[in-house]
Amino acid sequence: MICDCCHKNEAKIQVCDVEQNAVAHQFAVCNDCMTLLKRLVFDPATPLIPTADALKQVQAMLSSKDKNLALPDAPGALTVAAAKPEAQAPACPTCGMTLSEFKQRGRFGCANDYEVFAAHIDPLLERIHDVTPPQHKGRLPQGQADTSATDKARELAALRDQLESAILAEDYERAATLRDRIAAISGEPVLKSARPKKGGK
Amino acid sequence: MTLPAFNLFPHLLGEWLKGTGPESDIVVSTRVRLARNLKGYPFTLRATPQQRDELMLAVSEALKAARLEKSVVALKLDDVHAIHRDVLVERHLISRELATAEGPRAVVFGRGEMLSIMVNEEDHLRLQWIKSGFDVDRAFKALVKVDKALETRLPYVTSPKYGYLTACPTNLGTGIRVSVMVHLPALTLKDHVQKVFKAAEKMNHAIRGLYGEGTRAFGDFYQISNQATLGRSEEEIIESVKAILPKVLEYERRMRGTLFSDERALVEDKVFRALATLRSARMLNVQEMMSHLSLLRLGIDLGFVNEISAKTLNEIFILGQPSHLQREEGREMTPGERDKKRAELVRSRLVVGRN
Ligand SMILES: [Zn+2]
Ligand SMILES: [Zn+2]
Repeated sequence: MICDCCHKNEAKIQVCDVEQNAVAHQFAVCNDCMTLLKRLVFDPATPLIPTADALKQVQAMLSSKDKNLALPDAPGALTVAAAKPEAQAPACPTCGMTLSEFKQRGRFGCANDYEVFAAHIDPLLERIHDVTPPQHKGRLPQGQADTSATDKARELAALRDQLESAILAEDYERAATLRDRIAAISGEPVLKSARPKKGGK
Repeated sequence: MTLPAFNLFPHLLGEWLKGTGPESDIVVSTRVRLARNLKGYPFTLRATPQQRDELMLAVSEALKAARLEKSVVALKLDDVHAIHRDVLVERHLISRELATAEGPRAVVFGRGEMLSIMVNEEDHLRLQWIKSGFDVDRAFKALVKVDKALETRLPYVTSPKYGYLTACPTNLGTGIRVSVMVHLPALTLKDHVQKVFKAAEKMNHAIRGLYGEGTRAFGDFYQISNQATLGRSEEEIIESVKAILPKVLEYERRMRGTLFSDERALVEDKVFRALATLRSARMLNVQEMMSHLSLLRLGIDLGFVNEISAKTLNEIFILGQPSHLQREEGREMTPGERDKKRAELVRSRLVVGRN
């Protein structure tokens, strides 16, 4: 498949917008275009914009022939899980935030939103922070801080949770990444038979 | 329209503009910021005016309980004139967003203008510490002290998985943003700034021009800051910012060396033309002032100009900003009036033999 953005390279990544809890627009892009796209869509300084608009901006950047935009290698191979339409992704009962409002504003309404939209958040966080899986490391207020032993157990539990939902969502690329992480942390071998094929589109 | 008095600053310059501290020939200032939200309240986007008032009260009581209130100035921004809110922006005490936002919101800042706490910005609390020069460790240490004093009195909302919860997912986790403001005139002159941008991006850091649109920075000031806030500890983030700085410093110094040895006449000419303009202009807009000051600063560093101190430059730099000019004059001014006033200010500070 050819990249929907530069129409030159082979597309490696699926990107889509989620609106009203369903996939609205779907695109396939190459790694280079994804790097630029990531910068536009997840620029902390600006609210989220529709992927189609961001792609137009990427195309403009590419056609400006500004060699300064030549791409550095993406830090770590970037895999973007296309968010699957959720059966039910309701508004937050506390503040009324919906996924489409969040997409539009780029801001949450209350702390509860992180739970309400949990399934959509993790792939987003992976892209913004370049970390898989999203797991806090560092300070917490006194009394809430973890010891390192329970940290590991907690992280593993969180990873297994995420693995399960990734498999349910048929997001095998993400599942594979998670599986590797679990193996690395726990020291347990990975079940080879359970490992899905990578990259087949 | 005349303005009320607004003399809350014991010093002409905030500490970050003192021009001291490590690597201060290139690094103007180091800023560390922490984003925090309180349990029991929606984020600012959804908070009612009443909840925002309550929150300001809770913060002021926590400051009292922590015995911090004597050393700070607290301002409800609704009571502050828009021009004076801009003065706070120019002094880096509040964000432009907080200055122009609506509804109950406040700033609390230390008398040395190193500490500032924005209340009801995008997050309930934005704590920041600014120091002159390249001094991340000390800025972070000082800020953590304040954070710890507040966390025992204000319940922050956190989760084991996501850390400190923030309104925007880009700040999630540690909530930390380390920003280093650097002056890169030689790299700009030699057209090498883009290479620095690329190197920074490779390390997952953002670099952007300050005081200007896009990558074209007036006065050649740039800000380098960490992008990711989740999945790394504060120390790891600080170390990664500290790791990129020496490369930028070395690069800028090498370019300054090249300018000095290979293109001396050309640079000297630029520097002295800038000085001549500053000493003669009758109308000076802020961009012009800043680009000439930038060259002058380079000229001082290269040893072409000896009779002017870095301190004088920093004073002109801040006092020549639009809202500082209007505060000084005590009234709102048109852009034309400001350009005239700015030129007067600059001339009087750069009089031959004054420094
Ligand atoms: Zn492409
Ligand atoms: Zn909510």
